[in-house]
Amino acid sequence: MSLRFHRRSLLRGVLGGGAVTLGIPALDIFLDGHGQAWADGAKLPVRFGTYFWGLGLTDTPAGGTRWVPKTIGAGYEITPELEALRPVKDKVSVLSGFRVIGDGRPNIVHWTGHASILSGVAPAMNNRMDAASFDTRIADAIGGGTRFKVLDASASGKVVSYSTRTGSAFATPETTPLDLYTRLFGPGFQDPNSPNWTPDPSIMLQQSVLSAVGDQRQALMAGVGRSDQVKLDQYFTAVREMENQLALGLERPEKCESCVVPKPPGAAVRGASVDVVNANTKTMARLLAMALACNQSKVFNFVHTPGASETYMAGASKIYHQITHDEPTDAALGYQVETSRLAGQVMQGLGAFLTELDAIKEGDGTLLDRSLVMAFSDTGYAKIHAIENIPIFLAGGAGGRHKAGQHVVGKGDAVTRASLTAQQLAGVPAGEFGQGAMRTSRPITELMA
Amino acid sequence: MPRLAAYGGAAVVAVAAAGILGVAVHAAFAQPQPAAADPGALVAARRLTETQYRHTIADVFGPDVKVEGRFEPERREGGLLAIGTAQLSITSAGFEQCYRLADTIAAQVTASERRARLADCRPVSDQNRDDACARQIIARVGEPLFRRPLTEAEIAPRVRTAALGAERSGDFYAGVAMALKSLLVAPEFLFRMERAERDPAAAGAYRLDGFTKAARLSYLLWDTAPDAELRRAAAAGELHTPKGLQKQLKRLAASPRLQDGGRAFFTDMLQLDHFDGLTKDSKAYPKFSQALADSAREQTLRTTVDLLFSQKRDYRELFTTNSTFINRHLAAVYRVPFNASGDWAAYTFPPEAERSGILTEVTFLSLFAHPAASSPTRRGVKLHEIFMCEPTPDPPADVDFSKVQALENGTVRTRLLAHMENEGCAACHRVSDPVGLALEHFDGLGQKRTLENGQPIDVAAEVNGSKFSGAQGLGRHLHAQQKIPACLVRNVYGYGVGRAPDERDEDYLADQTAAFAKDGYRVPALMTRIAASPEFFKVKLPAKARPATKVATSPSGDLGGVQ
Repeated sequence: MSLRFHRRSLLRGVLGGGAVTLGIPALDIFLDGHGQAWADGAKLPVRFGTYFWGLGLTDTPAGGTRWVPKTIGAGYEITPELEALRPVKDKVSVLSGFRVIGDGRPNIVHWTGHASILSGVAPAMNNRMDAASFDTRIADAIGGGTRFKVLDASASGKVVSYSTRTGSAFATPETTPLDLYTRLFGPGFQDPNSPNWTPDPSIMLQQSVLSAVGDQRQALMAGVGRSDQVKLDQYFTAVREMENQLALGLERPEKCESCVVPKPPGAAVRGASVDVVNANTKTMARLLAMALACNQSKVFNFVHTPGASETYMAGASKIYHQITHDEPTDAALGYQVETSRLAGQVMQGLGAFLTELDAIKEGDGTLLDRSLVMAFSDTGYAKIHAIENIPIFLAGGAGGRHKAGQHVVGKGDAVTRASLTAQQLAGVPAGEFGQGAMRTSRPITELMA
Repeated sequence: MPRLAAYGGAAVVAVAAAGILGVAVHAAFAQPQPAAADPGALVAARRLTETQYRHTIADVFGPDVKVEGRFEPERREGGLLAIGTAQLSITSAGFEQCYRLADTIAAQVTASERRARLADCRPVSDQNRDDACARQIIARVGEPLFRRPLTEAEIAPRVRTAALGAERSGDFYAGVAMALKSLLVAPEFLFRMERAERDPAAAGAYRLDGFTKAARLSYLLWDTAPDAELRRAAAAGELHTPKGLQKQLKRLAASPRLQDGGRAFFTDMLQLDHFDGLTKDSKAYPKFSQALADSAREQTLRTTVDLLFSQKRDYRELFTTNSTFINRHLAAVYRVPFNASGDWAAYTFPPEAERSGILTEVTFLSLFAHPAASSPTRRGVKLHEIFMCEPTPDPPADVDFSKVQALENGTVRTRLLAHMENEGCAACHRVSDPVGLALEHFDGLGQKRTLENGQPIDVAAEVNGSKFSGAQGLGRHLHAQQKIPACLVRNVYGYGVGRAPDERDEDYLADQTAAFAKDGYRVPALMTRIAASPEFFKVKLPAKARPATKVATSPSGDLGGVQ
């Protein structure tokens, strides 16, 4: 019996017609019971994650940069600010030279860059996106069959996520390693490798609790205005995800060879200095990686530091954001020395994050080989709030779909090409992405196997 | 019962039937429905704020029920989270939290020592289902949670849930807990649904329905759901008459709970939510801790509520008063002795402390600063935004920063003066920085200092030709600014109606501001004056829903909003 086809599923199928608003990924039905493999036994779907950090990387006013490799294609050299990626270099593609094309909209500092990458259109106003962020498309396509359709975490203590379905309501991230641990491995977690699994008898009752809520949907949606409709759709999507989570609890989880339930992390140091944020990043990466390995989720969004990052070197009085603007270019060296040093520190977070994914063996490779992580920032050269040459990385083998380890130069192409590429590598049947001048149907084919 | 029909609408009946009839629903929907009673329009769905949630739970189940959980972040629009609530939804992670919270609340309120509060009925047996008693509990608890009586379509499935739970567990109250949980995660509880109905007094016009009016009044004045008396007045149509409205307003304003309303309003307006993500560098400010942050927040609320609601003093004294409340954590930062036996004590700063009102409390000084340094610019920007309703535009993206040099020595003033020589920066920094520089005798935590990098700090300032010095000079300057009370009026109105005022509201706001001044700037009276005005219940119908979204479309095809 498939529990995903209970009474109301059928009812909604009949009444609702299009599944667009219902939040059930159509692909769900093509998976086997636990999303471990395609129903026909073909290879595993990839895992997908976004990784965001604030304040870009450093350009030199004379024309060079501290991060863009000189050579194009495979075997690029490690530049000073990419030093932290050295251990996973062959699994990371570097995308330089991509930009935001605003269609006449202003550059809203520390917002336009990543809002464009995620939503495909330059935003009209601060803290709002004009379309859903593309990670939600990926979550809809591949996120089914696990307890959490998507996981959100933030390492700097700030309650920040850039993942949105409505453009104005953003996901709520876990902000400490302990909170993340509790959500993943606390109450409700079922060890897939436990020999004595029994279904939780209370789940059927929990389903009844939600059933009464879901039954009100139609009554509520009558007479509803446009913006409220979007909000309530989001609410009912959340209810649906909870129902899916409960339904999964009734099925014996499939064994996961790489799943080792981690120990709870200690209490976090509360702080925003770069050493603290990087330590949190590493701990949270380990938890997220194990969540993927234990088949608790397939999609995540991670924020190292928000746009206009307020991180700083411990004990220093100035924050990174202030330094990027205030620090003069060193006359002899030709770049901002302290800014570049901080950029290198911030990149250590990404290096540690990817290394954790790469540390988990899965099949004949690693978890990173079966994942795709798109890492990007809010700006290119932060001193001038550039939305050209925004650093973007695609990391991980995407289950063999990504020809990783290359440097691709965008030559002024829209950042949405990177976003579309990520969607396709993650397994979304998306033919195009973006709006206006940033609408594109051209993925970066050099990166696709 | 006409009220039930109005809320339920034909769709509910059809859906409820469909639950039994399975696919026969298709046929039911194919039948054209008779023109039903106008279902009214949902004019806004506002997500309940954390304090509204907490107050409502305390009111419905008792103040001893613990609400322990995380809430989703709120969103500030037009200066206020209350306006942002109309933009918010509940994400998957947020719903999980709501669900967990509902679980713990339902378990507490059905525990043996509390269950008697739920309703007057007792089940025939504690081990069996008792649909009549379950129904009574659901209807009685559901009404304050949903802020209106429940419809049959809302009650019936929950009675079934309670029955199923009782049968499976052999415990009547375990079943009731399930049903209550289902109320606590329902959209009608988690969102304030504001509805309009046809106005019988004006053809073609709409008015907010009685329960929506009751909720607006109650959330503005008490920060909680309407109580039984207010719901009774709403059901009886009394809130549509000036006399009935006045009677309720008088009652609400006379209650000590008005202070809860005031606390909630100032928590929002003063942006105290920023404490949630506040961190300080432990080397620069070893005294900073979560306990200090919580204390600072409480200090600001105590000072404000005591001055404006207990003492009913002039709003402008908020910038000049040297009376406040401190605890041990704060005493260490203010470097004053704390001799009281209780946790908190009233305290009056001596003039040489240079403290002057809430801008010189740890809250404002630490929230609007850097992790390891003060920030005159941030303080100036926030002072204009919060108290004068003058948001600073986003900085231009392409400013040439090359003339701005880092200065490791001297005071922050020198660095900011460099900014002011740069035309791209000057327009805004000329406005924000002087008031911020006047507060420079307080570091990024709010501790008094007179030197920075060994050099004396100059706290002189000039704004629009008016010269003053230091925090006390700034306080006196702000006391005289007309736009400060005008901004408060704007904020109270926007907070109450959950919408940013626009140009059509300007005359109204000007009149309210004049009345506020005439009354000696008393805030409680301002709140009730606004709540009594017709503008407080003005209906703004939403844009019609997009037909492309398939939500069990009604056969008439035109229930999707009212133009």
